[in-house]
Amino acid sequence: MKPLLRSFGIFMYQISRDNMLWAVCIAPLLAAAFFRWGIPHIEILLCEHFQQQAVLSEYYLLFDLFLSLITPYLFCFAAAMVMLTEYDENVTGYMAVTPIGKRGYVLSRLLLPAVISFFASMLLMHFFTLTVWTLWMTTITCLLTSLLNVAIALLVFSFSHNRVEGMAVAKLAGLVMLGLPVPFFLSSGVQYLFSPLPSFWIAKFCVKRDAILLLPAILSSLLWVWLLYRKFEQKLVR
Amino acid sequence: MISVKNLQFSYTRQPFIENMSFEVKDGEIFGFLGPSGAGKSTLQKILTGLLRNYTGSVIVSDTEVKRHDNSFYENIGVDFEFPSLYEKLTARENLRFFSSLYRKQTDIDYLLERVGLLHEANKRVAEYSKGMKSRINFIKALLHDPILLFLDEPTSGLDPSNAGRIKEMILQEKAKGKTIILTTHNMYDATELCDRVAFIVDGELRALDIPRKLIMSRGASKVRYTYSQNGREEGAEIPLNQTGEDSLLQSLLRENRLLSIHSSEPTLNDIFVEITGRRLQ
Repeated sequence: MKPLLRSFGIFMYQISRDNMLWAVCIAPLLAAAFFRWGIPHIEILLCEHFQQQAVLSEYYLLFDLFLSLITPYLFCFAAAMVMLTEYDENVTGYMAVTPIGKRGYVLSRLLLPAVISFFASMLLMHFFTLTVWTLWMTTITCLLTSLLNVAIALLVFSFSHNRVEGMAVAKLAGLVMLGLPVPFFLSSGVQYLFSPLPSFWIAKFCVKRDAILLLPAILSSLLWVWLLYRKFEQKLVR
Repeated sequence: MISVKNLQFSYTRQPFIENMSFEVKDGEIFGFLGPSGAGKSTLQKILTGLLRNYTGSVIVSDTEVKRHDNSFYENIGVDFEFPSLYEKLTARENLRFFSSLYRKQTDIDYLLERVGLLHEANKRVAEYSKGMKSRINFIKALLHDPILLFLDEPTSGLDPSNAGRIKEMILQEKAKGKTIILTTHNMYDATELCDRVAFIVDGELRALDIPRKLIMSRGASKVRYTYSQNGREEGAEIPLNQTGEDSLLQSLLRENRLLSIHSSEPTLNDIFVEITGRRLQ
């Protein structure tokens, strides 16, 4: 346990000494404040301008879903950046031959940040959502988004050689979020073209509130994690 | 300490390491010699438990490596060829962090002093030269006083004085009873430090013996001499153990007509080339 905590400690220390990663970790709070107070204000302006009863309010649930995803996304992005720096400095391979081991490294760089992002996301969802969420729905959704973002961190680390490439891949990986708006705008069978994206099933589950949709949401996320972990593991020992 | 039997490993469908067997005794310095891409680093990764999908048996410190737990690393120290240090941290911070991962710890300042970096310890590693990083990387492997050391090119990038300091420390670790696996393509280091060496080429073990025995098994030392003959410089070469039978040499010695005389021994590199048909460097 001690090596694992030490490993997590040095991970946090690196984030604390990196201004960009500081900003990344604070960004969800700023985004949450914008969603909570900025969006309703924009809605008032848009309704006045277009003489409509509602413009954005029909999609408040979608904003809440983005809010649930953004914290794990940015936390896991920070984790991937730290891992890429460690990879550049050859520390990643070295950690695997210390009592931390490969598994300890993965736990301290992926699982612990995902757990923290889950609680941070829960907290933001509690205070900043635009629609009403039950504790059960918030918990399940934040668990799913945290799991999805473990896959995104794996994707960013496995397919980048350095931090610059990592930032480019992270932007590209943002496309994984593309599944969120699909159930809001596509009702025909065409929407299932997005079914490989876990975000599609997360949104579908939240829109329909049908527990059976949890199954594809979990399975698709686990499939992404499993496929990417194999690539990630190869890179760890290269 | 280490027992490898019928080891086979492959990154792809093509076999990379084939049917390799050898043993390393306690307290021995055992060298892996081979050109780049020969399989030395892969073998080290297998022995240190980084690659587990091998077939055959690899037993290190009484543990089948593919089934090791993390306590396995409490007794193993690894010095990779390239420095593995946090560049934004100072050398002391790096050593403190890595030391904190182990149950057993040694005096960091003592190790820093041994490699001549005690007064530079509070500098960020990013400001270090290549040689300084190599020295910090080397003592990082000794922080927990391991019984088994894996050293990959430990003198690479060092000036002769610091290389000598590191070699001296390696021999002192051996004197304490440590087992040391040295991976190198530097024949001089291997000859100077290793009790036994293994030649590895294309994932195969081509030879394994005491360096001196390998050298002597492939031909004796030779004597080369030059002399003046009719105003021209001539030369000859004979085996060292036949100088007494060389009448020309005898007469040149008597008549003081020798211009130069040298003895030359084959090096481990010559033997490597002879056995494997490849060059080490």
